[in-house]
Amino acid sequence: MKTAIDVIEALLLVAMAPLIRGVIACVKARIQNRRGASVFRPYADLLKLFRKQDLVPDTASWLFRLAPVVLFAVTVAAAALVPVLHPSALLGVSGDFIVLVYLLTVGRFFVMLGAMDGGSSFGGMGASREALVSTLAEAPLLLGLTSVAVLAHSISLSAIVEFSVLRNPFQLSAVHVFAFVALAMVAIAETGRIPVDNPTTHLELTMIHEAMVLEYSGASLALIEWAQAVKLTVIMALLVGVFAPWGMATSASLLGLAVALPAFLIKLVILAIAIAAIESSIAKLRMYLVPDFLGVAAALAILAVVFTALTR
Amino acid sequence: MGMIELAVAKALASSAVFLFVTVLMMASAKRISACIILFGAQSAVMAAQVLAIAYARHSIEAYAVATLVIAVKVVAIPFALFRIVKELKAPQDVTASTTATQSVFIMAGLILLSFFAVAPYAKTLRVDEDMLAAAIALLLTGAFLMVSRKKALMQVIGLLVLENGIFLAALTTTFGMPLVIEIGIFFDLLMGVFLMGLFVFRIRDTFDHLDVSKLRRLRG
Repeated sequence: MKTAIDVIEALLLVAMAPLIRGVIACVKARIQNRRGASVFRPYADLLKLFRKQDLVPDTASWLFRLAPVVLFAVTVAAAALVPVLHPSALLGVSGDFIVLVYLLTVGRFFVMLGAMDGGSSFGGMGASREALVSTLAEAPLLLGLTSVAVLAHSISLSAIVEFSVLRNPFQLSAVHVFAFVALAMVAIAETGRIPVDNPTTHLELTMIHEAMVLEYSGASLALIEWAQAVKLTVIMALLVGVFAPWGMATSASLLGLAVALPAFLIKLVILAIAIAAIESSIAKLRMYLVPDFLGVAAALAILAVVFTALTR
Repeated sequence: MGMIELAVAKALASSAVFLFVTVLMMASAKRISACIILFGAQSAVMAAQVLAIAYARHSIEAYAVATLVIAVKVVAIPFALFRIVKELKAPQDVTASTTATQSVFIMAGLILLSFFAVAPYAKTLRVDEDMLAAAIALLLTGAFLMVSRKKALMQVIGLLVLENGIFLAALTTTFGMPLVIEIGIFFDLLMGVFLMGLFVFRIRDTFDHLDVSKLRRLRG
């Protein structure tokens, strides 16, 4: 029973990921006074890409084809690590937040390899930029999660989320506020959203992720796009689970889950609307300002860790 | 009734967090108007604090002080500053001499410093350590804002943040000063902002910019 629920949770995250992207795109369109595409558009895109021919550059090696598969695999594995509806996950082990962080990093690493293997200069440029961003984002991500782990006296994600569920929702702790801001900033960088990277641009000077996947087509591109959407959803689910898990079932009972599912979806949609609002109101940062952006996140994450000692 | 008590308790317990958040955001803010909004938000948090104390102690004077805080610091001063920004027609960026990362790191250090500074006194004075630390942190960060930002308007905002710190320190250690003194302080503050506003206009007219780091020579 419990395993079945955990499997369904992980599949839910993977299956609804394109929908979240669609919601963000739709809300953004509304904010910009356009009607916008249907929220199910990303599914149609994926379907279309899966049917198309998968072209590989002449200069590319087997790595080029392997990279999207590895990316998708590790991202789905990451989805299985995050507690969604109740404080437990399919692959819950002690210390799994570190596993989660580095699973995502392995995915990025392979995309960077694939991009450089493609042989185009854009791929190399995008890969080097991605390397810079991911190096800078790693410290605040780990430190932010560490601070909540210290509070929960446990390094397993399930225990951290359980601690958050049992907390009094009115009890605002400085650690959680700082860690949330730091992790939200990192999440923007990790998922390539607007102040750091623009997922809809194909402008040479600014693109990071798009430059890396420029050579990909067909099923490979579909896997990358899907994995990217899953990554966004996983990080959103992580933020919701660690910082606003209210409504989550404390045990795996059917009634609790029936409440937890709509609560989770509502929180995800609120977060998606927030992302759309931020993306519509902020201009993309210059590449050289990205380290400054992530530096602020790192400072806040360090402050969050120090505050765990101050507030006990 | 239960809800009001709960809200009061939480306003007292968690307002320090909001104050820290506002100063840290000021450290990373790039536009003067963002800083003004943050100052207004900071004052609103203080007003909530005063209201909570007023409710907890059933003090009419504290209610009056809360009204003054809202009228002067949440409405009048930000409005006046926005007016100045609009009339100046000058570029909006704060032109910091430190990067946002450095500013946030320094502010974080100042916040920690204030926690260590108040730790010995908080016990003997029997006041909330977080709030006293927040007061000292506001003092230090206000001073830091004045030192590290080059635009003349940011000096005004830094001074206002500093004054918020003094107000909060008085509030936490003595549960507010007598009403007459508070009124005097608020009047002073309002006059100060107007005078500084005049100064800013004079600087702009004489030097054609607001960068105080370039005010090296006397001009007639």
